[in-house]
Amino acid sequence: MRNPLLHIAILESSRIICEGLQTILYQSDLDCRVHRSETLEELSELLETTSVDILIANPLQFMNREKEIRKIRKLHPSMSIAGIDYGVIQKQSMVTDISFTLYDSVEHIIHALSKLGKKNQSAALQKNEDDNLTKREIEVLTGLVNGLMNKEIADSLNISIHTVVRHRKNITMKTGIRSQSGLTIYAISKKIVSIEDIEI
Amino acid sequence: MYHTSKIKVKPFMKMADLIDANPNLLLMLQHFNIDFRVSDQTVAQLCTGHGISENLFINIANLYNGLGTRAHQPYTRDDLVQVIDFLKQSHHYYRSDKYPQISSYIRQLQENHAAKELKLLEKFFNEYFTEVIDHLDYEDNIAFPYFITLLKKADEPGKRELYSSIEYGEHHTDIELKLKDLKQLLLKYVNIENDLDLRRKLFFALYELEFDLYIHSLIEETILIPAGVDIEKEQNA
Repeated sequence: MRNPLLHIAILESSRIICEGLQTILYQSDLDCRVHRSETLEELSELLETTSVDILIANPLQFMNREKEIRKIRKLHPSMSIAGIDYGVIQKQSMVTDISFTLYDSVEHIIHALSKLGKKNQSAALQKNEDDNLTKREIEVLTGLVNGLMNKEIADSLNISIHTVVRHRKNITMKTGIRSQSGLTIYAISKKIVSIEDIEI
Repeated sequence: MYHTSKIKVKPFMKMADLIDANPNLLLMLQHFNIDFRVSDQTVAQLCTGHGISENLFINIANLYNGLGTRAHQPYTRDDLVQVIDFLKQSHHYYRSDKYPQISSYIRQLQENHAAKELKLLEKFFNEYFTEVIDHLDYEDNIAFPYFITLLKKADEPGKRELYSSIEYGEHHTDIELKLKDLKQLLLKYVNIENDLDLRRKLFFALYELEFDLYIHSLIEETILIPAGVDIEKEQNA
């Protein structure tokens, strides 16, 4: 199976360094998407919406902000942190998992990052099993395609509405399709429901 | 269509060179009502010749080139009237060019293949198209006239309007969402044999539409709405 897409965030206020890193990442074999934040606040906002696998950070950004870093680590346990070593801080900082300097070879940096990425991979793989829906999700989808409301689906499957909503979210995440009519076409293409059941 | 050349547009650059680097700019010229035969004119000359604000033209061209605009550009009221004209022109492009084109491709696809999903796909697209037209009508008939009155009533003391720029922003429905669904379905799920020429044309049309819709909403969100909010504040002060 293909490796899942790695989300990499860069926390660094220097645009030159950011763009340089971004360029070598995109030109490498790593299958990744790069997000940039200049400040810790911007990073926190990013983390609210995106699940980041690797954070590449200027450790100076962490100075005197230990409490916030700890909180971020706690909230996002699967995120690894790679520190950029500017030679200012003597030993590898407590908060980073690995570090590299700007003078390291590109191959070295990419290799280190990809190793770090693999750490999360087994977990990510389970989460991101293409569009394979679970049995429950298929049941919810079938109800949806047949035009049932969340409440009706919940009643027929003996689960709470809250759970139905959660299944719906997962269905959308796995298939990439949000609208009900789009999901109907998906369900037919995947032979989850038969076209005869659908009114055209 | 996402291009990789990111040229930051400057007034002294030749328009023809810019188009060479990013043909999507032709679409922008069309929305500005500028002919494609740009000769050897620079951006500055082109703007002067057409009475278009250079500041505005460059900012929009940079959006098309994949670069952001600087926040809080000082736009004049004339600039904003031009923005509205531009948006109206792009509505024309969606209504009479891009959507009918996509619609005819999907129809053809449906006729060429027996798969019943395609019938549903056509239905899906037609419903979506109706929603889009509703949204364009709403902008043409309610939102844009509101902005034009707002701009013309320059110094009249503020009477609270029934409508506001913020509301416009909220009403902004997510037209791009169903377009994404359509692409996902065609790329990943719906099984169609061969017919690659037609399918490629359909994809290109979808990506062209997606690109222009994206710029369209960027213009509304980064230029029109903030400027409208500023004017309202001024008037209600």
